[in-house]
Amino acid sequence: MWILAIKAMLADRAKLATSLFGVAFAVVLVNLQGGLLLGLIEKASLLVDYGQADIWVGRRYTNNVDVGSWIPERWIQRIRKVDGVERAEPYLVSYSEARLANGSFEPVIVVGSEPASLLGNAWSMAQGDARAVRHPDGILVDSCDAEKLGHCRVGDTLEINGRRAKVVGLTDGIVGFSTNPYVFTTLERARRQYVTGLTPEYCSFFLVKARPGTNPRALAARIQREVPHLDVYDRQTYSRMCMEYWLTRTGIGMSFGLATFLGLLVGLAVVGQTLYASVTERVKEFATLKALGAADQCVGQFVLAQALGNAGLGSALGLAISLAIGWLVNSPRAPINWTWWIGALSVLLTTGVCLLAAWLPYVRIRRLDPATVLRG
Amino acid sequence: MIAPNLAILARGVCKEFGSGPQRTPVLQGAGLGIARGEVVFLVGPSGSGKTTLLSILGCILTPDGGSVQVLNQEVAQLRPAELAAFRQRHLGYVFQTFNLFPTLSALDNVALAATMRGVALPTARAQAERLLEQVGLSRQGRLRPGQLSTGGCQRVAVARGLVNDPAILFADEPTASLDAANGQAVMELLTRLVKAHGVTLVVVTHDSRILSFANRILHLEHGRLIRATQPGEAAQRATLESVA
Repeated sequence: MWILAIKAMLADRAKLATSLFGVAFAVVLVNLQGGLLLGLIEKASLLVDYGQADIWVGRRYTNNVDVGSWIPERWIQRIRKVDGVERAEPYLVSYSEARLANGSFEPVIVVGSEPASLLGNAWSMAQGDARAVRHPDGILVDSCDAEKLGHCRVGDTLEINGRRAKVVGLTDGIVGFSTNPYVFTTLERARRQYVTGLTPEYCSFFLVKARPGTNPRALAARIQREVPHLDVYDRQTYSRMCMEYWLTRTGIGMSFGLATFLGLLVGLAVVGQTLYASVTERVKEFATLKALGAADQCVGQFVLAQALGNAGLGSALGLAISLAIGWLVNSPRAPINWTWWIGALSVLLTTGVCLLAAWLPYVRIRRLDPATVLRG
Repeated sequence: MIAPNLAILARGVCKEFGSGPQRTPVLQGAGLGIARGEVVFLVGPSGSGKTTLLSILGCILTPDGGSVQVLNQEVAQLRPAELAAFRQRHLGYVFQTFNLFPTLSALDNVALAATMRGVALPTARAQAERLLEQVGLSRQGRLRPGQLSTGGCQRVAVARGLVNDPAILFADEPTASLDAANGQAVMELLTRLVKAHGVTLVVVTHDSRILSFANRILHLEHGRLIRATQPGEAAQRATLESVA
């Protein structure tokens, strides 16, 4: 019965093409919009996610890693003595300005890490070595941001905060949520040369590496007791906070969400309408089945098989198209973070709509008088 | 309890359609008995209630009054689901417009009826192939209804009607969509197969050219069976009427 239902579905090419288009469209929409939103918003916490620190300590209410505030570096001693802390390092993230050769300027985010450990330094390189920031005036910028910074290349010199900065390497895909390029350098150089108005013994965060086997949440709680006037978060929590900051304050979540939702509604409406029409057009066929003695359950299986067949084939097509488009358009500027759960969600949603679209006419089929086939 | 050699016994069958002032009586106390293995034709003018009676005898429609026993079973006692199961187990149908699935091949159309009984698809296909061979369509099993002639479609419908080895086969105007030659061929096929399978055949028809295939012809008028005749009698009468 299931096989014959699927065969009947596959044979009707015109209806099949329309319903598969609808299902695939809805799946592509969810995957691309969802993946794009996720990819974009994850840029808000890049430094936290890839910076290798297990725990982030910052000033109260510092809920965005790109907008740090100042804390005295000497407080780090209170953290270092907490049981479970392997290493704690000061870290600086601050806005500054790069002046370009043509006279224009570009706001940048200077990221300074301890030169010995380089905790929080760039982690992915397109050209050069991340440790080169230890070189005099050495900075790393992203290859995607090179154009913004006057098409700079490795070996070129820029002017940041009126001070000389030499590009010693290009990072690969470290592009933040804001449009401002990250400039990686050492903590001292950042503090003394590239950031204005900062007292030398201040920094933005303390980055903590936990001893192996230490629970980061428990360690964060112990550190919090030592520095109650600061905020202490494990990596996951702080990452989520940074994303929520942009999601809630910029409205990107709402706009993307609404666009996705509306697009999804259109896609699902196409699916629903097509499947509904396809079942209602076959009412006489189902009445024949009933007249031949098919139980409602049997007719239900027939309808269900076709709905699931449409959902399965359309979803597979949609996922394949999503992968292809994602592969073609994915870039550090507009990353598409295609995760399994977005894929699963899109398949579940469309399958649900397919089932609903088949169930509504099925209710009618259940009430259908099989005698209609004899009335002509 | 009915006589064991009776396939169908109906008494005082009534059926009305519509409600209130629109209510129209279609059957008004129709009664008949059909023996097992008999080939019976129901004839009568349009609106005489032939198809309604066929639907009731075929357990597709329930009567408003009277009693209908099919294969010793009082059908009024069956709930809709039981009625469907009864139809599936014991009865077969050939419809006027064939009612084949246009997107399935001839073979799958026949096999579908068997799979509804829970027969596995390979077995159902084997049964369908055998029946298509019997109706002369062994080479056209892969074709869809749209690729077959009307005669071919009716043959598929006959094969489908017989695939579950029914005790009674009901055919509603089986030659209405066919030309004379095809109509004769389909009726020859039907009567040959029902005899070979030991099936009772009940046919509703307007087609006087095929009356010779019946063992008995029941005439309906205004929802009542008014007489039963033998094929020769009916043919003679039909000829006289057409001359008049």
